[in-house]
Amino acid sequence: MTTTFEKLRAGDSIDGPTFAVSRESIRLFCDASLDYNPLHLDDEYMKGSFGKTNFGGIIMHGMNNFGLISRMITDWAYPAGAIHRRLETRWVKPVRPGDTIQPFGIIKAKQATEKSRWVLIDVVVKNQTGEKIATGEALVEFPRDLFCQ
Amino acid sequence: MAQTQAFETDFWKDANLRKVWDDIVPGEPRKTIPYTLTKEAIELYCKSVGETHPIYFDEAYAKTTRYGGLIAPPSIHILLMFSCTPADDWMRSPGTVNAGQSWSYNIPARPNDVITLQARALDKFIKRERLFVVHDNVFFNQKGDVICSGRGWTIRPI
Repeated sequence: MTTTFEKLRAGDSIDGPTFAVSRESIRLFCDASLDYNPLHLDDEYMKGSFGKTNFGGIIMHGMNNFGLISRMITDWAYPAGAIHRRLETRWVKPVRPGDTIQPFGIIKAKQATEKSRWVLIDVVVKNQTGEKIATGEALVEFPRDLFCQ
Repeated sequence: MAQTQAFETDFWKDANLRKVWDDIVPGEPRKTIPYTLTKEAIELYCKSVGETHPIYFDEAYAKTTRYGGLIAPPSIHILLMFSCTPADDWMRSPGTVNAGQSWSYNIPARPNDVITLQARALDKFIKRERLFVVHDNVFFNQKGDVICSGRGWTIRPI
């Protein structure tokens, strides 16, 4: 069933894709994003601490979470003719090889403005034990000239 | 024209040339370089996050959409942040920890766009003994249209 602005209600949920994190998936994200920070590559470096932080091993890029949340939003929005307009995120816990993560969205509010219509979505990413690893908020526009894809 | 140069994947190389927290001046523009976004780079990025929507891959399908052709996913700015900055940019400093980001999307980036970046540190502060910098970024296409704009909070290595 196609999502429409009129039918959406606060509390409606969106289930995003599951994503299995591995050393290979992290390395692929390095190559795709050109972010080769040793946080994501260098086991020896990650045994130590730097600043006030010690992760104890390599971690996934925070922006891999961001990309996964954005994928959830666009896959939900495109069929409805809607447009992903904003995403704000905070990383709560590090993600490590072997974890499986999944983003979720919950419709928070709808608002019409002079020229368009908007949906605010609370987002969260959880790992395989249900721990929150990222939180955020997305904004999706439902233009009045809907162009469903 | 955008220059294609081999990307230095060893972020330790010339790490001492990069600004540390003390050197970063909020408000001062960062050096940036134009980048030609290829279909192959978009496809590799899509693969890394599992994007399969045909609007990124199927030209015939993409022509039937509101965009009239292939586009990149909104989050392609993740790649653009590194492709549009030089090797001595402080975002590459080993140990830089990303604490969160917020991005607004205007129009999509497309294959063969020549993309430019206007970027700066906007703020820096200390919180719970950690050194934070807020960075502020706007990406444009070759027509001068804003693709997206965003801010990020990073914890700087000590």
